[in-house]
Amino acid sequence: MEYFELAIGCIFINNILLAQFLGNCPFLGTSKKMETAVGMSMAVVFVMVMAGIFTWTVDTYLLKGLGVEYLRTVSFILVIASLVQFVEMFLKKSIPGLYAGLGIFLPLITTNCAVMGACLLNISKEYSFMQALAASFFYAIGFGLALILFAGVRERINLARVPKALQDTSIGLVTAGMIALTFTAFKGMV
Amino acid sequence: MAQSLAKEFTKGLWAELPPFRLVLGLCPVLAVTKTVENGLGMGIATTFVLVFSNLLVSMLRNVIPTKVRIACYIVIIATFVTIVEFLAQAFAYPLFLALGIFIPLIVVNCIVLGRAEAFASKNTPVMAIADGLGIGIGFTLSLGAIGLVREFLGAGTITIWGGTPVFDMTSVFANFQPFGFMIEAPGAFVALGLMLAVMNLIPSK
Amino acid sequence: MREMISMVVVLTVLTAVSGGLLAAIKSGTELRIEEQVLKFQKAPAIAQIFTDVSNDPLAERFNVETEGTTLQVFPGKLEDGGTAVAFETKGKGGYGGDVGLMVGINTDNDQIIAVRVTTHSETPGLGARAKDDPSFVSQFADLSLEENLDLKNNNGSIDAMSGATITSQAVCLAAIQAQELYKKLKPEILKQIQ
Repeated sequence: MEYFELAIGCIFINNILLAQFLGNCPFLGTSKKMETAVGMSMAVVFVMVMAGIFTWTVDTYLLKGLGVEYLRTVSFILVIASLVQFVEMFLKKSIPGLYAGLGIFLPLITTNCAVMGACLLNISKEYSFMQALAASFFYAIGFGLALILFAGVRERINLARVPKALQDTSIGLVTAGMIALTFTAFKGMV
Repeated sequence: MAQSLAKEFTKGLWAELPPFRLVLGLCPVLAVTKTVENGLGMGIATTFVLVFSNLLVSMLRNVIPTKVRIACYIVIIATFVTIVEFLAQAFAYPLFLALGIFIPLIVVNCIVLGRAEAFASKNTPVMAIADGLGIGIGFTLSLGAIGLVREFLGAGTITIWGGTPVFDMTSVFANFQPFGFMIEAPGAFVALGLMLAVMNLIPSK
Repeated sequence: MREMISMVVVLTVLTAVSGGLLAAIKSGTELRIEEQVLKFQKAPAIAQIFTDVSNDPLAERFNVETEGTTLQVFPGKLEDGGTAVAFETKGKGGYGGDVGLMVGINTDNDQIIAVRVTTHSETPGLGARAKDDPSFVSQFADLSLEENLDLKNNNGSIDAMSGATITSQAVCLAAIQAQELYKKLKPEILKQIQ
């Protein structure tokens, strides 16, 4: 039950893209085609869960243990950057099929603030290890859901006649606002 | 020299004005612009990081090995971000509370890393500072402008500094009802999208 | 090989300098940050709890050690000559994280004077009412510490805020924690007040 509430909270109510405003650059950048949106979502799920686990461990045992919480920003970004690098190398060598799909998105994830943001949220909410793991996963699912929904709408918009000034990012943002509006309906559910 | 310096500075204020011309670093733009004050505070914090990380990256550009350059930039940027975090806590605590998680997240702001990689690593320290300052001030003014639109429409107030509004619509029209949508999350997207459209109408050169 | 060494050396030096610099800045700003936390988080809550005290609770604050952690206690001299203390506890499991609660207790009759929320990240309009709208927290005023400070659902004496049960529960947890801490630390606190 506790995890069910966590899932609803992380996926819908506090959706990382539409309610917390994290990870908007890839949101707008990779949503022009459904194919890239799906690829990016998969890559984010993969990296966010891994990053959630690693940063939680680093924070609990290393930073809190040594009493150097102020190095959190530096160490988290280093953990995420090296993790992404490592995942990229690993996929390239061992699972080339998956790499072909996710490869080009991985470098983008280092500066995806959704990953870093989810890790920081896990710490600020003082989650346990299992909660942090679950929350990272659900945040990533929420990211994927919003991104894929958005890509679907955007593919339709490409066929529509949009005033010149509003084209591309501009209409994209307004559309994102409308999707965010539907997500506010989940507020107060838990 | 002076001419090119001025050019690097002013491009950030108009031709490459983030986030309108350079559609990067959108997360803080959307998240912290509920009031003008928060927008400006975030802009100033980002400018601080931009200027100093640009300076340091530029100074060390011949020392840093190419293969680990991104890691080095990240360490430099993260260090200045943490310094900003300390300074905000010590000197602007209410702002620190309002910006919350978005201060540490300056580290993943694409603008900062983008300037380090695209500009500072190839230019002299003086030029890098001019570039960082220009982009930073442009970013600050943009955040302030978005904050102005959202706060004015969404709450009917304008708050520049210290948490007390300098202007309040209810003092002009007693029955004024603000358009609360603008303060909410969806309003952020719509406000930025429409402002971007207005900017698209004005040519960048 | 030379490149390899320079890579390692540069990265190590950079991280070491960064760590050192940050440690120095941390110790330089530590005192000021503590003052700011007092001024903006705790002082407003304390001012609302001790409406008529003849001393300055912030200036006379003292620390009590308990199980390895330090509890900051703010003493107040009441108008009728009695003494009171206020201290902050954290209620786990709020909707958006922990809820900080400042609890004021009259040490003469062991009654709660008042409680106020200090920090929270609850939803505006729902859980955030715990701080903005005093009608919920005012239920704690004048309750005896023998009372069950839980929600009515859990056989306590507090009505939950409608639509914000999770936040209400977190506030109650903080109050119960304060109750237990006070019972345990009362002798220690009284010794320091004198």
